Amino acid sequence: MSAVRSFVLTAAGRDRPGIVAAVTRVLLDRGVNIEDAEMAILRGHFAIVLILSAPDELDEAQLREGLQAVGRELPLEAVTLSAVEQLAGGSPEPTHAISVYGADRPGIVHGVAEALARHEVNVVDLSTRVIGDEPIYVMLLEVTLPPTLDNAALDELLARVEQELGVDVSARVLDRDVL
Amino acid sequence: MTSSEVAARKVLRYPHPSLKQRCQPIPPGAELDRVARDLLDTMRSFPGCVGLAAPQLDELVRVVVVDVSDHRKATTSHGLLVLASPVVVEASGDELGREGCLSIPDLTANVRRATRIRVEALTPAGEDVSIEADGFEARALLHELDHLDGILFLDRIASRADLFARKRYA
Repeated sequence: MSAVRSFVLTAAGRDRPGIVAAVTRVLLDRGVNIEDAEMAILRGHFAIVLILSAPDELDEAQLREGLQAVGRELPLEAVTLSAVEQLAGGSPEPTHAISVYGADRPGIVHGVAEALARHEVNVVDLSTRVIGDEPIYVMLLEVTLPPTLDNAALDELLARVEQELGVDVSARVLDRDVL
Repeated sequence: MTSSEVAARKVLRYPHPSLKQRCQPIPPGAELDRVARDLLDTMRSFPGCVGLAAPQLDELVRVVVVDVSDHRKATTSHGLLVLASPVVVEASGDELGREGCLSIPDLTANVRRATRIRVEALTPAGEDVSIEADGFEARALLHELDHLDGILFLDRIASRADLFARKRYA
């Protein structure tokens, strides 16, 4: 079995049809495999994050050139390719879902993230929406609690965040349906 | 009654603080009748609206109105329900379903709710009632009852993938 190299590819560009097709064409032509993918439109900009694996004999310079060429043609605002050490088998299972919402103002994401990080809570998933004429900021997170933190401690920590940031925060245990 | 007498009131929108308050019981009487009347008129003024809770009108009392009888998702319905001090005494089953709220326009989300519930409450006249509801009617009741404790559907979203921007039709 030949060795495998791993990369993270990120790209972003004003949304239009054909971005995924163009980027993945370059990958396919170089024998690069997409291990995991997340793509989304954020305010009209299409953002791509890919985890790639490639055969050891990959010509990395050629791959970069191919991606840059696609980036110019589409065009994309950014394309990056970074070699990474080793891929994990999966992602940590989230244990809790957290809702944060309040009148929009700077510092909500950071304030929440900072408080979670202080207690070794791992953010597994995060997305936000701003809605309404009088903007409301809504952030939803999925997190994994460290063994040292229980539900009560999480609620306590989030109650402090609520106070400090003037937002509403609630958490619930994630149940995984198995069908 | 002519349309000019209908007292549709302004529905509070988040982040109005009244939407995050725990509401107080209200005894039968003229005040309860007025709140119930305002809730009903306001609910009726929004096409497709199947329920409203008193705090959405800045009345911090435990009163809700629900009427799912014209809704396509409703399988069973008790028609118009006007309930004071409602309490869920039994709940079983669970199901994800899409919810929106007049107090949080532009967003809907998938929320997990019981599929069959029994609610005990008082009628505006002060009589005890016990209602067994299922499906969409149960969901509507649970959503409105949450309002009485300052709980919004954003507090019950099952996962981040369950949050949707509501389409706006200009």
